[in-house]
Amino acid sequence: MTILQDPVLLSRLQFAVTAMFHILWPLTTVGISLILVVFEGLWLKTGDVDHYLHARFWAKLFVLNFSVGIISGLPLEFEFGTNWSRFSMMTGEFFGNILGYEGAMAFMLEAGFLGIMLFGWLRVPPTIHLLATGMVTLGASLSVFWILVANSWMQTPAGIHLENNRVVVDSYFDAIFNKNMPWGVLHTWFACLTTSLFVIGGLSAWYILKNRNTDFFLKSFKLALIGAIFVVPIQLYLGDASGRHVFVNQPAKGAAIEAHWTTNQEGKGAEWNLLMWPNENDQKNDWAITLPNVLSVLATGNLHGQVQGLTSFPQADQPPAIALIFYSFRIMVVIGMAFLGLMLWTLFAWLRGQLTPTSIGKHRLLLYAWIASIPLGYLATECGWIVREVGRQPWVIYGLLRTRDAASTLPLSVVATSLVTFVVIYSILFILFLMFAARIISKGPDLSLAPPSRR
Amino acid sequence: MDNEIHSLLANIWFLIIGLMLFLYVILDGFDLGVGILFLFTKDEKQRAIMMMSLESIWDANETWLVLLGGSLFGAFPLVFAIMLQALYIPVMVMLFALIFRGVAFEFRHYARNKAPWNLAFGCSSLLASLAQGIAFGGLISGLGITESNYQGNVWEWFTPFSALVALGVATGYTLLGAAYLIIKTEGAIQRKSIVQAYIAAILEIMLMMTIVIWASRFNPYFAARWADKETGNYLNLFLVLAFFAFIMLMWALWRGFELRTFFWSVIIFLASFTAVTIGYYPYMVPASITLLHAASSSKTLIFMLAGIGLLIPVMLVYSGYQYLVFRGKVHLDEHTN
Repeated sequence: MTILQDPVLLSRLQFAVTAMFHILWPLTTVGISLILVVFEGLWLKTGDVDHYLHARFWAKLFVLNFSVGIISGLPLEFEFGTNWSRFSMMTGEFFGNILGYEGAMAFMLEAGFLGIMLFGWLRVPPTIHLLATGMVTLGASLSVFWILVANSWMQTPAGIHLENNRVVVDSYFDAIFNKNMPWGVLHTWFACLTTSLFVIGGLSAWYILKNRNTDFFLKSFKLALIGAIFVVPIQLYLGDASGRHVFVNQPAKGAAIEAHWTTNQEGKGAEWNLLMWPNENDQKNDWAITLPNVLSVLATGNLHGQVQGLTSFPQADQPPAIALIFYSFRIMVVIGMAFLGLMLWTLFAWLRGQLTPTSIGKHRLLLYAWIASIPLGYLATECGWIVREVGRQPWVIYGLLRTRDAASTLPLSVVATSLVTFVVIYSILFILFLMFAARIISKGPDLSLAPPSRR
Repeated sequence: MDNEIHSLLANIWFLIIGLMLFLYVILDGFDLGVGILFLFTKDEKQRAIMMMSLESIWDANETWLVLLGGSLFGAFPLVFAIMLQALYIPVMVMLFALIFRGVAFEFRHYARNKAPWNLAFGCSSLLASLAQGIAFGGLISGLGITESNYQGNVWEWFTPFSALVALGVATGYTLLGAAYLIIKTEGAIQRKSIVQAYIAAILEIMLMMTIVIWASRFNPYFAARWADKETGNYLNLFLVLAFFAFIMLMWALWRGFELRTFFWSVIIFLASFTAVTIGYYPYMVPASITLLHAASSSKTLIFMLAGIGLLIPVMLVYSGYQYLVFRGKVHLDEHTN
């Protein structure tokens, strides 16, 4: 294949592989650490030993997940220098600065308390332990904040000007609070929460279905449900709002998400493609199932609102792989809806008093649905990330620096070798993780664990 | 005036980056060193103790590398970009080794058959140390970079000199690892660590002398700095300090002092590290990129000082607290709860 003979493309693939693999782990690190804080706090407040045992049990999965997250994230920072040195030289003043902030405020904090959180139960008083868990949680969430500050600045750069092809910061406030930042940060953070809630809920459902410690796991199941009642609607709202924001600030990406080729004429609404197949050469869709006016409503809130089409951009400025962006977006949306449906279904069962140890067993289908939802949050996040990053192409910094001009000068063989090595190592890592996680899950919680004194 | 402020800020950041690098080298150094010593341990129980001595802190140690990377990226983007691109191969090898090491560390805990994980842990620790050493050796011999543009020879770092530095770094890490185990263990494993510390220390001082002599012969910039009266005096001072620390280390080992063994091992590192820095100052990539040439604007350096520099004392306090919580000898039965 000739396209594989391009070192820049291989660097892109390598970054995509490492970033998309890495993102799997912080998703649940962020969410589960918060759930651990809740369980630990509940234990300290109520004295219910089950809460303590929950904290101890989920922490086992947490640590495995956390470790893979740390080691798979390490290469990302260095890849900016190794594979994207021209990007690094140009943006260091802001982008590097923010990565430094992330290290100082987020990662160091996480790492500084992780040991106490995992191994310090007998060495520090419970309140200090709760503080340690809280700091790990705070660190994890702060890392979402800072990395999405950096990434959103690549989507909607602000607060800077270029001098000798180098970024010079005029206003840190403007650069950090760029237009995409609130949406990028919140949508990602809520993705972490959503994914984690359905992982915890789904695993709890599995134990309940297997009739293993039903009482015990109903507690975590209900906690996940309560979390989902708040988190899922907010996440759907954030998704919708980010979508509308994209049409304003990154119109080419918006048009790619909807495979919308030609700008609608004034007074006529833009039609929305439910399904389609794009033809980039002819700059149109080969076929499409469309609904009239819907795109105008979705993007602008107005029946006849104007939505810029892809053809209003030079072909060199259009995002590639329209089908990938289009269908990734749809998968994400469908999963969001599925989460909402599952949450409402379970809420309904709860309101009818069906979530008790004696009656939950009758809701086998509901429990199966929760188990099936375990991987969905991950899938939705990956799809969202594809839309976000592929949709920004051909730019690495939207409108400012093209991806092609950001890469290091490297021989093909070297990048190919490192790419293949990453793929091999991460595949092994993934399989091993599943093996060991399955072992922890099938072993289940140790309910004989005696909690330390609460004072 | 503006220039003076900028120069001051750039120097402050040079110092901070140096501090981060030093902390990383010491902390992850003993961590990796314990990993290298894994290769020389046959007893499964001893291995378990060695692992336990690291479990609460390895992540914190490695995170200094992440902080270092981000800070270098922000404060000296040019160095970050050019160095990592030129050192592509050793950096990737280091990353792969660190990934494997972390995996081996975590998964060994759950695995029924520990043998492959033991081997993976030891080998990846050694490989990561060698990769760091060879990258450092390549960097101080200049990477073939002229005038802040990089020609793209990905093998430029690979020289006999850098290979020697790699050996020096790996041996130094082994020394730190043995010194750490002396503090954290007792009985047979401690006695063994003392012997290993002796061997590593003697090897290390010999390697260091060879490296210094080699650099002064073949690296014109370093030689000129040494010949210069004032810098030469400082250089000699720190080299003497390194040698003094070596003597004190021997004495501490002989008398069985635990903390002092570690302390003097650290001083050997500190002295040689300072000597290298003085030998190449103000260059960050000798002899083509100076710290002033690579530094970000004053505004960025100040902003970073507020968000990173001021936090360093806080980081040191909570990192220190974690060490304090887990102080004392490692006991295998602690995990019954």
